[in-house]
Amino acid sequence: MDMVAGRVWADERRPIRHVDWVLLLLTVALTAVGLLLLHSISATTPDEAAFWLVRVIKQGATAGFGLLVVVLIASFDYRFFKVYAGFIYLAALAALVLVKIPGIGATDPSGVAQRWFAIAGLQITPSEITKVCAIVMLAAILSEIRTPEPALADLARVLAVAAVPLVLVFLQPDIGTSIVLAAIAVGMLIVAGTRLKHLLVLTATGMVLIGLAFQVGVIQDFQRQRLTAFLDRANAPEDAKYNLDQSLIAVGSGGLLGRGYLKGTQTNLDYVPRQHTDFIFTVAGEEFGFVGAMFVLLLYALILWRAIRIATLSKDPFGTLVAAGIASMFAIQMFVNIGMVIGIMPITGIPLPFLSYGGSSILVSFAAIGMLESIHMRRFS
Amino acid sequence: MSSRIKVLALLVALMFVALSTRLWFLQVLATTQFQREARANSVRFVYTEPLRGLMYDDRGRPLVENQESLEVRVNRDAMGNQAEAVVYRLARLLNVPVRVLVARLQDKRYYSFQPIPVAEFVQPRVRDYIAEYQELFPGVDVVPTSVRAYPQGRTAAHVLGYLGPIFASEYDKLKNKGYQQSDVIGRSGLEQVYERYLRGTQGIQKFIVNSNGETIRALGVKDPTAGDDLHLTIDLRIQRAAERQLREGLVRARAGTDSNHRPLLANAGAVIVMDAQTGAIKAMASLPNYDPRWLVQGLTKSEANYLYKSAAAPSLNRAIQLGYVPGSTFKPITGLAALKEGFATIGGYYPCDATYTHPGDTSGTVFNNWTTANLGMMTLSRAITISCDTVFDRFGSDFYTQYVQNQLSDSGLLLQNDLREFGFGTPTGIDLPSEGSGLVPDPAWAKTQPTLFPDGWVPGGDILTMIGSTYVMATPLQLAQAYSAIANGGHLCRPHVVDEVVAPDGTVVKRSQGRCSRTIPYPPSELAYIRGALGSVITSGTASCTFSGFPTSQVWVGGKTGTAERPPYQDTSWFAAMAGQNQNAPKYVVIAMIEQGGFGATGAAPIARHLIEDIYHLPDNGSGGCGGGDR
Repeated sequence: MDMVAGRVWADERRPIRHVDWVLLLLTVALTAVGLLLLHSISATTPDEAAFWLVRVIKQGATAGFGLLVVVLIASFDYRFFKVYAGFIYLAALAALVLVKIPGIGATDPSGVAQRWFAIAGLQITPSEITKVCAIVMLAAILSEIRTPEPALADLARVLAVAAVPLVLVFLQPDIGTSIVLAAIAVGMLIVAGTRLKHLLVLTATGMVLIGLAFQVGVIQDFQRQRLTAFLDRANAPEDAKYNLDQSLIAVGSGGLLGRGYLKGTQTNLDYVPRQHTDFIFTVAGEEFGFVGAMFVLLLYALILWRAIRIATLSKDPFGTLVAAGIASMFAIQMFVNIGMVIGIMPITGIPLPFLSYGGSSILVSFAAIGMLESIHMRRFS
Repeated sequence: MSSRIKVLALLVALMFVALSTRLWFLQVLATTQFQREARANSVRFVYTEPLRGLMYDDRGRPLVENQESLEVRVNRDAMGNQAEAVVYRLARLLNVPVRVLVARLQDKRYYSFQPIPVAEFVQPRVRDYIAEYQELFPGVDVVPTSVRAYPQGRTAAHVLGYLGPIFASEYDKLKNKGYQQSDVIGRSGLEQVYERYLRGTQGIQKFIVNSNGETIRALGVKDPTAGDDLHLTIDLRIQRAAERQLREGLVRARAGTDSNHRPLLANAGAVIVMDAQTGAIKAMASLPNYDPRWLVQGLTKSEANYLYKSAAAPSLNRAIQLGYVPGSTFKPITGLAALKEGFATIGGYYPCDATYTHPGDTSGTVFNNWTTANLGMMTLSRAITISCDTVFDRFGSDFYTQYVQNQLSDSGLLLQNDLREFGFGTPTGIDLPSEGSGLVPDPAWAKTQPTLFPDGWVPGGDILTMIGSTYVMATPLQLAQAYSAIANGGHLCRPHVVDEVVAPDGTVVKRSQGRCSRTIPYPPSELAYIRGALGSVITSGTASCTFSGFPTSQVWVGGKTGTAERPPYQDTSWFAAMAGQNQNAPKYVVIAMIEQGGFGATGAAPIARHLIEDIYHLPDNGSGGCGGGDR
């Protein structure tokens, strides 16, 4: 009897039986919405006509490949990542350094930033990959702290580990990803039980550092003007102001129900710059209106709910922290990106997870889903 | 830890609250304002024209180039409140009436921010004056634009073609291809056929303008790409010689008279020089012609009338666009057909009587030879050499009889099928526009001509076609293609004018249209036999006087005269020739034709002779004073 009951119990605990189908379904749904929006931009904009199939097919293919990545990562026990966290972290740092070396990293068309490797016709962006690598590393350290609240020495170690990639990314310059990395660290520190006093000091220090960066000129003028455009539209540089104006007109003119799929004039006539990447949410806002925008927000809310639920369900602090870090990553990206589009957040180059066009962004988002699944599937073992 | 997760969840929830609140404000509370702004938004496009591709002859000598024209453009937005004064000053400076200028500035095709061209080819001093007193001319610009230049003047005008404005009626189709209403487009010749290569790609500047049409911001710039160049098969030296000889030939022909002793009009003519081995056109001339530079400057009324309305029809390329009755130049071809069907043999002898009547014909139709003398029995070669009609009339009867024996079925139309195999009745497919088809008369066509053929197809149909007379029609180019096939051993080469289309970066975009894959089913021995007969025409036949003194030992020439009756007009004068190092593989085929030019031997043949002399750098050995009389 015991034997039989035990076998049934063991079978119950096999990871494959505990896939979070809801999370997977939400991911696919959000990706499908992204392709729909991408098609709207590319199919109707005269200038982009030549690219539309290329873009939609490329993004679709990347997403298909992303599903394979989910399966691959989910099939690994996430605790292996803890064992190799140091290597993963160092590899990410190495990539961030290598990408700055002329001849290895590729420079973007504007010639300002050097942010990616061009490999076999693909753009591989190390700063995107760094986000998940940092999550793994931070979770590995925080999960080893045995006291209920991290001591100051522990905090210092964690902050140092978080600061190195953050500074490297900041110097690329990629302020958007720096913000995401900072938010990930804060989110994970909260979940790790950092004392409120320490968190407040940390926040205050962060503020001072940012202020200093503006003063000392680490943040260059053109970056500052873009960052503050949403606060001071009157004095914003012409292109940032234009971008913001067109973006607000697009979303605002959508109204309650939107102007209809493929019927948004802001979208069709190519008014909104960078619409397929950073400003893709404008399409949802213009063509599907408040209802459509809220639907997209709902999909994000449900994904975040599943991620936070997985953090709660995990019996293992490492799993909890990784899930919390991923939730922080998705949340801050969604918030800053959509906030930027609707004028309550600064203009930074943060992609909207699963919606923005771009291979590295999509694949990293899917990899994060794979990790969440791995944690969810092994929550009993 | 789980309580801390709740803190994280709370923060995330706050994010959603912030985003939703803002979206509610933008999309529900303030949406009307944004919808108004969306309507006020608009993109305007300003196009920069690419440099059009150039044309070169087979040795890279320029045939069509681009030149700069100083164009005065007025931007109405930029004139501000001085508009009236500016227009008045500009009218004085350009020496045009104010009302003309105002009419141009009211052109509805342009947006107020788009500069309107109001004058081209202005003097540099106008540019300098406006530059010096720019404050008197706000919104006025003098900009260099690119227009066509023809360094060789009228030479090869029909082949090169010209550009013209886009008509309102065709604009709908063209705008999808990126044309603007103010663009020019290839209207004839190579300019028309190779338009998509020559044109290049427009540059585009995008502007955001507000509802007042004021530019808010430039969106993006795409630079124009120049069009592809055409490298022609035309040899400028031979082309010039062909045009000169045709011109002189017309003048010479006008000294002669027709059978009613009226002076010959010799109003028009055409010459083709074709590479018999490849189908490459080395020269193509058509007279009367026109000066393509007229079209660059804008046609004056008299130029436009001459070009498009006069009876001279100078825009017509007579070498390819019109079918003519080919006369006896057809005999080598119909002779080959007679050999093929077995009505004639190489060793056979046929009577060259003064008249011919179809056996059993009781209608009284009699076909006369060009002489009333009975010339006795002769071979096919001899019949070609002296152009005996009655020998060929007899073969025509044979074709008709065969048709009747085949129960009047289309497969029994041996003569017509043989002629179509030679390329007659359909365009050759040369890379020039509006090519004529000519006509191969057959029973189906006869049915459409009840006044000419009240009883349907009759023996006379085949008999007349056999001697290239009355109904059959061929373009000079079709004849050149057929003679080339005789010269090159039976390959029907597609004539072509463009050898290569070359992109600005030097890559070859398109190679010649020429192909010699079609063959005609004649054994080499029969083709050689006909070439021999054509050689005899020069040495001892209808063209022997015209070619007297020609050094046939240096350059072998074969040819055939043709005199086609075209009542009520005067006879069409033809000469179809081939020339080369020897009789086996002549290099060039030369076709000369004069409308209302009289006998082939006296009108067209001298043109061909002198042109061949020019091609081979032979001295002019004279050949004046040959009488007519033969065909």
